[in-house]
Amino acid sequence: MGSLLDDWPSYDPHNFSQLRPADSSAQSSKLTPVTYRPTHNKTLPPPDQVISTEARNILLRHFYQKSEEKFRPKRAASDHLTPEHSCKQPRYAYADEADVF
Amino acid sequence: MSVWNYVVTAQKPTNVTHSCVGNFTSPQELNLIIAKCTRIEIHLLTPHGLQPMLDVPIYGRIATLELFRPHGEPQDFLFIATERYKFCVLQWDAETSELITRAMGDVSDRIGRPTDNGQIGLIDPDCRLIGLHLYDGLFKVIPFDNKGQLKEAFNIRLEELQVLDIKFLYGCLKPTIVVLYQDNKDARHAKTYEIALKDKDFVEGPLSHTNLDNGAGILIPVPMPLGGVIIIGEETIVYCSVSAFKAIPIRPSITRAYGRVDADGSRYLLGDNAGLLHLLVITHERERVTGLKIEHLGETSVASTISYLDNAVVYIGSSYGDSQLIKLNLQPDAKGSYIEVLEKYVNLGPIVDFCVVDLERQGQGQVVTCSGAYKDGSLRIVRNGIGINEQASVELQGIKGLWSLRSSTNDPYDTFLVVSFINETRVLAMNMDDELEESEIEGFCAEAQTLFCQNAIHDQLVQVTANSVRLVSSTTRELLHEWNAPSGYSVNVATANVSQVLLATGGGHLVYLEIGNGKLAEVKHVQLDYEISCLDINPSGENPNYSTLAAVGMWTDISVRIFSLPSLELLAKENLGGEIIPRSVLLCTFEGVSYLLCTLGDGHLLNFLLNLSTGELSNRKKVSLGTQPIMLRTFSSKDTTHVFAASDRPTVIYSSNKKLLYSNVNLKEVSHMCPFNSAAFPDSLAIAKEGELSIGTIDDIQKLHIRTIPLGEHARRICHQEQSRTFAICSLKNCQTSNEETEMHFVRLLDDQTFEFISTYPLDTYEYGCSIISCSFSDDNNAYYCVGTAYVLPEENEPSKGRILVFVVEDGKLQLIAEKETKGAVYSLNAFNGKLLAAINQKIQLYKWMLREDGSRELQAECGHHGHILALYVQTRGDFIVVGDLMKSISLLLYKHEEGAIEELARDYNANWMSAVEILDDDVFLGAENNYNLFTVRKNSDAATDEERGRLEVVGEYHLGEFVNRFRHGSLVMRLPDSEAGHIPTVIFGTINGVIGVVASLPHDQYVFLEKLQANLVKVIKGVGGLSHEQWRSFNNEKKTVDARNFLDGDLIESFLDLSRSRMDEIASSMAVPLEELCKRVEELTRLH
Repeated sequence: MGSLLDDWPSYDPHNFSQLRPADSSAQSSKLTPVTYRPTHNKTLPPPDQVISTEARNILLRHFYQKSEEKFRPKRAASDHLTPEHSCKQPRYAYADEADVF
Repeated sequence: MSVWNYVVTAQKPTNVTHSCVGNFTSPQELNLIIAKCTRIEIHLLTPHGLQPMLDVPIYGRIATLELFRPHGEPQDFLFIATERYKFCVLQWDAETSELITRAMGDVSDRIGRPTDNGQIGLIDPDCRLIGLHLYDGLFKVIPFDNKGQLKEAFNIRLEELQVLDIKFLYGCLKPTIVVLYQDNKDARHAKTYEIALKDKDFVEGPLSHTNLDNGAGILIPVPMPLGGVIIIGEETIVYCSVSAFKAIPIRPSITRAYGRVDADGSRYLLGDNAGLLHLLVITHERERVTGLKIEHLGETSVASTISYLDNAVVYIGSSYGDSQLIKLNLQPDAKGSYIEVLEKYVNLGPIVDFCVVDLERQGQGQVVTCSGAYKDGSLRIVRNGIGINEQASVELQGIKGLWSLRSSTNDPYDTFLVVSFINETRVLAMNMDDELEESEIEGFCAEAQTLFCQNAIHDQLVQVTANSVRLVSSTTRELLHEWNAPSGYSVNVATANVSQVLLATGGGHLVYLEIGNGKLAEVKHVQLDYEISCLDINPSGENPNYSTLAAVGMWTDISVRIFSLPSLELLAKENLGGEIIPRSVLLCTFEGVSYLLCTLGDGHLLNFLLNLSTGELSNRKKVSLGTQPIMLRTFSSKDTTHVFAASDRPTVIYSSNKKLLYSNVNLKEVSHMCPFNSAAFPDSLAIAKEGELSIGTIDDIQKLHIRTIPLGEHARRICHQEQSRTFAICSLKNCQTSNEETEMHFVRLLDDQTFEFISTYPLDTYEYGCSIISCSFSDDNNAYYCVGTAYVLPEENEPSKGRILVFVVEDGKLQLIAEKETKGAVYSLNAFNGKLLAAINQKIQLYKWMLREDGSRELQAECGHHGHILALYVQTRGDFIVVGDLMKSISLLLYKHEEGAIEELARDYNANWMSAVEILDDDVFLGAENNYNLFTVRKNSDAATDEERGRLEVVGEYHLGEFVNRFRHGSLVMRLPDSEAGHIPTVIFGTINGVIGVVASLPHDQYVFLEKLQANLVKVIKGVGGLSHEQWRSFNNEKKTVDARNFLDGDLIESFLDLSRSRMDEIASSMAVPLEELCKRVEELTRLH
C-alpha cells in the first residue's frame, strides 16, 4: 500500500507547507472573498466572439450534404453526359398510375 | 405584505457543485476554482492554505465549469455554461484584476428535448473544440480556429438518446468522444465517435463496449501515454483502450465524483455516496496497462466534486455536507484512515425544512434548518448579529460612564472597572479570588461624576470630572497633580489618550493638556463660537500614543470640526445638517483606512474618510442604527479593532474588504460599553444596560452565525414547541446491513437548548414522516405535536396509506395520544380553527379533535375538498386555505363554518409545479416552483364576473435561480417598532443550495424608487461573462419566458454600496437623489437581513 500512497504530485513544495489542521470544532476559515462587481466594458467579448448555432436545421444540412455527395461523384464519373440522361422515364409510370385512379 | 417585493440573499449558496484546478490568475499561480450553483469562488494555493481571492456572482445556474489552455496562451481560461443555455469564456487580467470575457454565446436550440441526466459540457484536451450535450439526440460542437478563436456552433445527431456521460479521449488524431449510454432495455454500453469537423458529423470511433455494469455512470479518460478510458460502475471498474481491457470487482457503491491525482493519469480519487474515498490505481509497465487496483482511504463528506490540489492536499466539494480540505497521509491513523481533515467549509444545503424561533427570547428570530443529507445530515442554527455571552452581571442603576484601567502600563490585564454615576464614581476591582468587588483609587475624586478616565504613560491614571483633571499614580494610587477648571466654568465633555487630554468647558472653551511624568501641562486653549457637544483624540496615525488630530462636535451650528494638535488650529469643518446635535465622535482606522465616525442624537451615524495629514473629511455616508443617542467606543477582538455603538440598538461597526459593515449585537439596549480584559474574564466587554452591569465575551465579528448540530441522519421536517421547549423532527437513517441497505424513519424530540435527542418514536417499516406541526385544539389547552406520515411501498406509484400521529410531551418523552389512518400521504398539516387540516394526496381534509366517552381523544373527519393532483403545501389564514399543488400551481379554498364545508374560491390556471407556498396578506400569495422561479398571485374578489373572481391573477414573476423548499414568516433581525425597517414585513426562504433569503414587501413608493435604482445599476454593474441581468431574472419555464415584474433583485441593489465613489455619484446624479440619501436608503435595506 505504501507505494500507492507515496509520491503525491507536487507543483510547488511550499503550497500548504504552513497549514496546520484546524481543531475539529472550528468551522471554517474566516476569510471572506471580495464580491466581484465588474463595471468595465470588457465583460462583452469582441464582436466576432459572440457565438450562436448555425441557423440551418440539422436535417436540412444532412439532406444538402447527401445531395452534394450524390451530385459530386456523378460529375466526376461522367463528364460528357447529355442532360436528357437525368430525365429518365418514370413519368410513364406515374401517368399509368394516374390512369388507374 | 404586498405585491411589491424585494428579494435578497442573507446566506449565499454553500453547496459546491463543481471545482477545478489550474493556473488561472497567473502562469505561476495555482488556483482552485469552485462553483456554488450561481457563484464562482477563485482561490489561490499558498503555503498557509487556500486563500480566497474573489467571489463572482454569475447570472445563471452553472452547468459546466472547466479550465482549459488554448494554444499559445501562458495561462488557463475558464469555460462556464449555464443551465439556461448561455456560455462564456473568461480570462483573468492580472494587471487590472478583472475578469475579461473572451467569448460568449447562446447555445440553445429552438426545438429539442432537454436531457434528463443533466447538461454535459466538455473541452477537447487538444483544444480543437468545445462539446455540449444539452438536448437528447444532439451533440453541439463549438470549434476553435487555429488562432484559438471560437467559431459558429453546429449540432451533430447523436443516436444514443439516454446519455449518462460523455468525455473526450486523449491522444486522438481527430477529436474523439466516448459516450456512455443506456439502451431501451436499460442495458448500458460505451462507444466512441470521431468528430469530423468539416463534414459536421460523427464517424464511428476506435472503441466500443457493450453490456457494461448496470450501474456504470462515470467515464474517466486517461491521458497519454496510456490513453483509453475508465468506466466506473457500481460493482466493477473497467479500463479499456484499443489494446487493453482490464476489469476489477468493487464493493457495491455508487461513485459520485472523481479527481485525477497524477498528470499521467495513473491514480484517481473516487468518492462514493456514503462519503468513502478510494484511490484507484492503474498499474502499468512500459506504457502498457497491466491492471487496476483500488484502495480504501477513509471517509469524507459525501463528495460532489474532488480536486487534487498540491502536496497531498485535496479539496472535497460537497452538496450534502460541509466541503473539506483534506490531507492524504502516508500512514493510517488509529481508525485506519489515511485522511486528515485540515479545514471545513460550512454548507447549509440542502435546506429541506426550517423553522424560525426566538430561543433566547430577545425578540429576534433564529433559523433552525434541516440541512445536509444521508450521514451528513444536521441541524444548523443560523442567527444574525453578534451575540454577547454573559459571564457575570450585577444590578446597578443609573450608570453614566464605564472605563477599565490597568494597574500598570505593562499589565496585560485590566484590574479596575470605573463606573460613573450622576453624583459619584465607584471603582470595582478584581480581587485575589477573581471576583469583582468594590475598591478605591485614592487619588480619584469619588464624589463626582467621572467624565473620562484613562491609563496614561509613566504608570499614571487620568480622571476628568466637572471641576478638574486629576493625574494619579497607578502604583501608589495617590494624586500626583491636578488641573482645575477656571472658576465659574465646569468641564462638560472630555477625552484623553495615554499622553494627551482634551476637554471642553461651558462657553465653548476648548483646552488641550499634555501628560508628563507627574505633571499635567496646559498647552493650548481656544474659544469656539458655540458649545462643544463631544470630542475625541483617539490616536489613529502612526504614533499609538499621540494624536495629531482632534475631532470636535458642536452645538448650534451642528458641525464636526477637525483641529490639529497641539496647536488647536482648525483644519476642517463639516456641517452635518439638520437640527440633531452630534453626541459622539471617534477617530479610528480600519484595514489601514482612517475614518471619522460621528453619531447624532437621533440614532444616525455619519462616517467620513479622514485624511490624516490634512484633516480633510470626504465620502460622507449616513446610516440609521437606532433611534436613541449613540455612544461610540473601540474594542479589540482577535487582534482586530472594532467599534461598538451603544444605543437602543447596539451595533458593532467593522471593516471587511475595506468596506464598513454594521452588525447588530443581540442585546436590547446598551447605554455604555468598555472593553474589560481581566484574567478571570479574558477578552470581555463590560456593558451597562437597563439597570444592570454585565460582563461578557463577544462572538466572532461577522454578520451571520451558524452553529452545527450533526445528527448522523437526514432530518426532513422540523418544528418547535414553545410550551415544552423542544424541537421535534422527522428524520431517516440509512442502515447498512450485511447485504442490503435499509432506511429507518423516526420522530425525534430534541431539547431546544442542548439539541440532544431526548425521546424517539420509531415509525413503521416503509413509513416516512412527511409533515410535523405543534398545535392545540379547541377545548383542549395541551400543546401537541402532530405528525403526518406515508407508507411508501416499492410497488406503489403514490402512497395509498398514511397516518396522523398526535403526541404530547410528558416528562421529556413523546407520548402517542391518538392516531388516525389516512388514505394517502399526509403531505402537510396545519392548525386550523382549533382543528387539524391535513393535505392527503389529492385531498384537503379537516379533522375535529373529539372527546370520547372514556375521556380519551380522537381525530374525526369533518369535511374535505377534492380536486388536486397532489396537495403538497398548505398555508392557512383565518378561514382561507392556500394549496400549492404538485403541478397545478396555487388554489384558494374557503372553509364555511355553518355548512361544515371547504369550497374552492379561485385558482391559478397555470401549470406550475410547486415547491413551496406562503400567504403574504389577505389577497396576495407567494409561490416557488421547480424551474427556480418565484411568483405572486392575487385574489380578485372585487372582479365583476364569477369567472374573473375564480381566477388568481399572476401579479409578480421572478427567476430566483434557486429551488425553494420552504417559506416561513419571520425576520432574521431584531425589529424595532419605530425604525423604518421595522414596518417592512418579511418572509424567509431556504433552498437546496443552502441559501437563506428574505422576501420583503415594500411600500409602493419605495418599490418605485428602488426599481429606478436597479435600472440604473444594471447599466453600471455588468454581468460577468457578458450575461444579462434582465434575462437572468426573467421568469422562465418550459412554456414561457417573461420579464421579471413586481420583484426586485436585492443582491444587485445592495451591491450599490460596493461601488466606487465616482460610480455612486454617477448613479445618484442620474437618479437626481443626493448620494447620502441614496446610501442611507440602501444601507437600511441591508439591515433587513
